[in-house]
Amino acid sequence: MAVAPRINVGDDYKEKYGFFDPENYVFKAKRGLSPEIIQEISWMKQEPEWMAKLRLRALDIFRKKPMPTWGADLSKIDFENIFYYLKSSEKQSTSWDDVPDDIKRTFDRLGVPQAERKFLAGVAAQYESEVVYHSLHKDLEKKGVLFLDTDSGLRDHPELFQEYFGTVIPAADNKFAALNTAAWSGGSFIYVPKGVKVDIPLQAYFRINAENMGQFERTLIICDEDSFVHYIEGCTAPIYTTDSLHSAVVEIIVKKGARCRYTTIQNWSTNVYNLVTKRALAYEGATMEWVDGNLGSAVTMKYPSVYLMEPGAKGDVLSIAFAGKGQHQDAGAKMVHAAPNTTSTITSKSISKAGGRTSYRGLVKVQPGSSHVKSFVKCDALLLDDQSISDTYPYIECDESEVTIGHEATVSKVSDEQLFYLMSRGISQVEAETMIVNGFIEPFTKELPLEYAVELNRLIQLEMEGSVG
Amino acid sequence: MTALVLSAADELAGLHDEPAWLRAKRRQAFAVYERLPLPQRTEEEWRRTSLKGLDLDAFQAFEAAGASAPATPIADTAGVLRQSGSEPGKVEIDPELSRAGVLFVPLSQAAREYPELVQKHLFQEVRPDRDKLAALHAALFSGGTFLYVPDGVSIAKPFVSQFWSSTGGALVLPHTLIIAGRGSSFNHVDEFLSPDLERPSLTSGSAEIFAGEASNVGYVALQRWGNHAWQFADERARLEKDSTVRMVHAGLGARFSKNRVEASLNGPGARAELKALYFGTGQQFFDFHTLQQHVVGHSTSDLLFKGALREQAQSVYAGLIRIEVGASGSDAYQANRNLLLSNQAKANSIPMLEIMNNDVRCTHGATVGPVDPEHLFYLESRGIPPMVAQRMVVHGFFGQVLERIPVQQARELVEQELEDRIGF
Repeated sequence: MAVAPRINVGDDYKEKYGFFDPENYVFKAKRGLSPEIIQEISWMKQEPEWMAKLRLRALDIFRKKPMPTWGADLSKIDFENIFYYLKSSEKQSTSWDDVPDDIKRTFDRLGVPQAERKFLAGVAAQYESEVVYHSLHKDLEKKGVLFLDTDSGLRDHPELFQEYFGTVIPAADNKFAALNTAAWSGGSFIYVPKGVKVDIPLQAYFRINAENMGQFERTLIICDEDSFVHYIEGCTAPIYTTDSLHSAVVEIIVKKGARCRYTTIQNWSTNVYNLVTKRALAYEGATMEWVDGNLGSAVTMKYPSVYLMEPGAKGDVLSIAFAGKGQHQDAGAKMVHAAPNTTSTITSKSISKAGGRTSYRGLVKVQPGSSHVKSFVKCDALLLDDQSISDTYPYIECDESEVTIGHEATVSKVSDEQLFYLMSRGISQVEAETMIVNGFIEPFTKELPLEYAVELNRLIQLEMEGSVG
Repeated sequence: MTALVLSAADELAGLHDEPAWLRAKRRQAFAVYERLPLPQRTEEEWRRTSLKGLDLDAFQAFEAAGASAPATPIADTAGVLRQSGSEPGKVEIDPELSRAGVLFVPLSQAAREYPELVQKHLFQEVRPDRDKLAALHAALFSGGTFLYVPDGVSIAKPFVSQFWSSTGGALVLPHTLIIAGRGSSFNHVDEFLSPDLERPSLTSGSAEIFAGEASNVGYVALQRWGNHAWQFADERARLEKDSTVRMVHAGLGARFSKNRVEASLNGPGARAELKALYFGTGQQFFDFHTLQQHVVGHSTSDLLFKGALREQAQSVYAGLIRIEVGASGSDAYQANRNLLLSNQAKANSIPMLEIMNNDVRCTHGATVGPVDPEHLFYLESRGIPPMVAQRMVVHGFFGQVLERIPVQQARELVEQELEDRIGF
């Protein structure tokens, strides 16, 4: 009999990653949400009037919208017990030397930039609600690529910003998009001009540090015609006792012939509510790819979506979800085919263990008139023990006849036969199980940049080792 | 005539000479009906299903017997029940079977004569409190079939119940209750039909099947209500250890048809096969919600729903495989295939899994698409004219479900009906 392998992602979190620095904030808003706090945030940031108005309107929408009753259990979120804005240092740092020491230390512990600076073009490392460190490679600057934190984006490029902000995900889209629009702070603003291919990934790290602090990043990426960019977002957070809320909004516009890839590795500590709205518009012949890994958080509800607006657009979502004890990963993808000759694929891999729950929730929608659409969805789930739960909710809505849509899903445990095969060749059970789990998520890891793939594999290996015997 | 009021439940009970306990049951269900609002589109189950135009006040509570059946029931049977509108049904049964203890009688008569059997089972699996329409069905059901096959009795020929409606403007809500004794084996066919009528009517055709240990039950529902009909029905089977239930639903009629097809597997070795085909034309709308509930492990369920849609027809399929905690060794399969034969046709497909155990095998799939041009090309390259090729492909599409209809006469009937519809 196979012993179900136990992967302890999340256990020992405090020992391994749960470091945190003493709080040291220039400005600390009061807990809770009110028009005054929103106005204060806007005033602190010296924003134009239209943004202040938009924030207030969004707050109104947020108040009116009911909590979603589907998906994960959100009843424990207390919106009045959250800090909606924190600024960790008064001034935006311009070079690595100016970054405060305690923040540097945190990044060192994460092993972030020192090793990766060489490979990566720019590091916009988000510490708290504000981007504090930010550098842009000179080559990129020459090409006209903008890679800023979103606040600077609004300040320095107001026209470009206003043209696109909130057009992909309006405040009224859902309750949490409204909350984000009201309270947003930080995030990345990227503009890639026509024909420019950014050949090294752009990357930002996000961190939550203050207890009970909401993070409402707002990311806006505009890929002009025939451009290419790969953006990487990765998260890890120290462990805290009360629940934190992370509610980001990511808007992406991929214009004619352009390609955008957005990679996320989400590893929040297991007390974070991660409720994220991510959406991209893909125009003629454009390609949008979401590569989405969900390892941490208590509850994640995240459904990266692509609206295929013009013929030839292509959408791709590749995701893995891992749910350990007390975790619920309600993740998925959404493809809206609004034009003929558009294609999409969704590949979802999920692993549940120790009572964790993974849910795939997805939608493929074909609007009337969108003929010759092709879409394929594949979901595989691995259950590592008999207390864990896996759900699959794939929605298909089709308004057109000349389309081909397929969905397939399987749910299984680690196969006894595979284990037996490996063990009969002298491989220990732990190693064998690690190999099988790594093999299961391999389609995902092979799409990651090397250093991420190595990290992910190492993480799984570590967790598998301590688990048996 | 009577509108949908409490006294209608009593009138119906009187019409069928029902015992007091059943009257009470109707009254209880009516209270639920009055309490519940119509399902709203904000409810997940009804999000894609619009009840716009459904006016419950427009219906009479029951339909008097009218013209004779629009078609003769299928031949060569073990027993036949015929029921027009809300009138009590009439039964013919092979006397040999009656002597063997088989009970095949109108439901109300069974409630009178075998209360200990009926009371324990009626509306236990098809619950009146699920929504307003299920409550209405339980409050004002217009009789139906009771079939009980004792332990160890095996019957080759099928039982057939035929329900028809001929005036419209009223409720026609037949209910089927099937109890299969240990090791028994038989097939039952429910046929629901009416011509296309002027006035809308509200119809159902719900069935509860209790499959005892090691029994083997085949159930076929042929839904051929006219295009004036709003149809709401629940078909649900409860399977005990080592039993096998094969359910096939053929959705051909009604303008609006909403069916829940469910099986709960309550013993090891239980095996449920849920198959359906539907063919929508014109403005027809089909909604199927299915459930394969593995309460106990080492059970198997296999679901295949296939539909073709022409003109502006629409379908919604939402199915759930639920493996309960501890149901290890469950094996579940679920597939929904949709063939869109026109640009305006619309299909929604939502195959869902909720798995609470790791030692299981669950697979599901869904497709929506037109007739595969490669298949057409293959046939046409062999000299078959395009129209004929298309018919062959559509026919072949349904073959997988057709061949699982356990009663040959019913299979032939469905084949004929499909043939008429495929003929573009």
